[in-house]
Amino acid sequence: MEPVLSVSSVTRRFGDVVAVGDLSFDVARGELFGLLGPNGAGKTTTLHLITGLLRRQGGEVQVLGYDPQVEPQQVRQRIGLAPQETNVYDDLSAVDNLWHHAALYCSDLSEVKARIRELLVLVNLWERRKDPVRTFSGGMKRRLALARALLHDPEIVLFDEPTLGVDVQGRHALWEHIRQQQAEGKTFLLSTNDMAEADALCDRLVIIDHGRAIALDTPENLKAGLGRDIVTLRTSPPLEDAQDLLGGMGIQAVSQPEPGVVRFEVADAESLAGELISKVTAGHHLESVRIARPSLDDVFLHHTGRALRE
Amino acid sequence: MRRFWLLLVNEFRLARTAVPIHMVAIVQPTVLYLVMSVILVQPTFDMAVVRPTTVAGQALVMAMEEVGSPVGLPYIQPILVDWDGEPVARQVIAVEERDGVPTAVQHFGLIDSNLVKNFRNRLTAAALRLWHRDLDRRAVRIVEVPWLARDVPYTVYFGMALLPLTAFLAGSVLGAVLTAQEFEMGTITEYRLAPAPPLLILGARLVRLVISALAAGGVLLVAVGLVTGVWPSAVWLVFVVLAPVGLIAGCLGTLAGLLLRKVIPAFLVGLVTSFVGWLLGGAFGLAAGFSAAYALVSRLMPDTHAVELIFPRYYGISIGRPLVSVAVLLALSAAMLGLTVVAYRRQVVTQG
Repeated sequence: MEPVLSVSSVTRRFGDVVAVGDLSFDVARGELFGLLGPNGAGKTTTLHLITGLLRRQGGEVQVLGYDPQVEPQQVRQRIGLAPQETNVYDDLSAVDNLWHHAALYCSDLSEVKARIRELLVLVNLWERRKDPVRTFSGGMKRRLALARALLHDPEIVLFDEPTLGVDVQGRHALWEHIRQQQAEGKTFLLSTNDMAEADALCDRLVIIDHGRAIALDTPENLKAGLGRDIVTLRTSPPLEDAQDLLGGMGIQAVSQPEPGVVRFEVADAESLAGELISKVTAGHHLESVRIARPSLDDVFLHHTGRALRE
Repeated sequence: MRRFWLLLVNEFRLARTAVPIHMVAIVQPTVLYLVMSVILVQPTFDMAVVRPTTVAGQALVMAMEEVGSPVGLPYIQPILVDWDGEPVARQVIAVEERDGVPTAVQHFGLIDSNLVKNFRNRLTAAALRLWHRDLDRRAVRIVEVPWLARDVPYTVYFGMALLPLTAFLAGSVLGAVLTAQEFEMGTITEYRLAPAPPLLILGARLVRLVISALAAGGVLLVAVGLVTGVWPSAVWLVFVVLAPVGLIAGCLGTLAGLLLRKVIPAFLVGLVTSFVGWLLGGAFGLAAGFSAAYALVSRLMPDTHAVELIFPRYYGISIGRPLVSVAVLLALSAAMLGLTVVAYRRQVVTQG
């Protein structure tokens, strides 16, 4: 399928710091694509390069066939951005915030009133439409930001950290709204450092670290790509020589996330569990053992040697 | 056009994000005017006189009531009091017999020397009326021929001089705060990404600031009218003249907001430039009385030209050159508008 958004070898530096380096990915129409990475990985910078808020220093960006650096107006009419900071007017009502956005973004104002109602109903804010936004919870503000980004009916929605600072209930509500919009044909590009969010929402994602793409695929393929299970052992005394003790079983990526805990990857851990426990209990007291399928955090750890949350 | 109208309506909706600033910017000069009109010396003086018991004392009180100002207003308001000789707050006049001569003795307390002089001048005027009567045909008559159709209290001049300050303060302070807070709240991203033409967005903001400046001027104009009873013969002219002042101020405030991006510093710039510009303005040609340099600087201030266009006669004398004033206001407006457009492009529209 022809991509509606194409980022090709894009680079942006701030002084000597490479915020985005040689980053490439494509987003297909109707896809929910994620930028996953820790804080400072370059996700927001990437979104700003796509919107044209920032100028790239190398590479190509095409949004629906337009280069945001050359034809920013064409791009801005076709995208909606919900930025990381919830930049709504706290002293205005939800309706007034949307009217403000409409004046800036909507070329056809005849449908705005109905569209505002439709979107506020969609994000469950219609009952609170006249209340000042300062009385809203973090989740309600993010839902309003989503409604605002959708108001001018953009083809692509860029959502920077959709559920940052939102409680669990609000998170799931927002995810549902995003999925609903995707089902209606919208293309989404989300940036997040929340692997659960990326896992739950994204059709495909690119994992970014220090501005560079380190993996790109569907969440399932990225996790399956490790081909291994994650084993976490808690022992006393601590298992200092895990590589020597269990090396013959083909363990990899051994690490000690906390004192007394050893974590490693191994193929088909369930069939090896008996042998593994025997070897460990020969010289240590095994307090707990956990075998898990890889998460996106494990994928990140596998590629960078660091946890996503670090 | 519909989009511009909606942008303009939105600009006024944003007033809710800075209600106290709006109150200060629009009403503060009027409050200043009302306070000053109470504090400033009034042409009619209340003068306390000890209740007279002699013929000479009664004659003096009658003479005081007859003294008028050059344009006819009562000049002295004698108030008869019973006095025990103890010091009083201001002053009291007692008519006594000293060395066989009726003598008006002026007792005064903690008042400034200028006020003492004013009281004494009025007392002398009353005494002269009595002397004049005694001189009969040897007296020299003084006939007053006013040039003005009516007296113009200087509270009117003060109000007129405040008008451009009022408009300037509203434009610059509101422009500064509304613009800077977009950066502080992060809402500037909305403007940066907006597909609407930047000049349309900026235009709506500046028009809103001009309207706010005119509203502030209107509030003061009403206050001046109610206090003095003097209303401009052409109210429309006041608003036409204040419009470029509001535009210049709105541009200045917007520039401060764009460049400083912080509400408090931008607000202070708006506030300080308003008052400094007003003081440098030297309305009614007052600057010429200080120094040539001050006079020259005052000719560059929009306040000066606005006052001279709104109120072109100072105590009956024509001041200023209207065409020059119009030209200066238009040139300043164009220059500030140009600077603001350039700054808006650099700070908001241009990609980082």
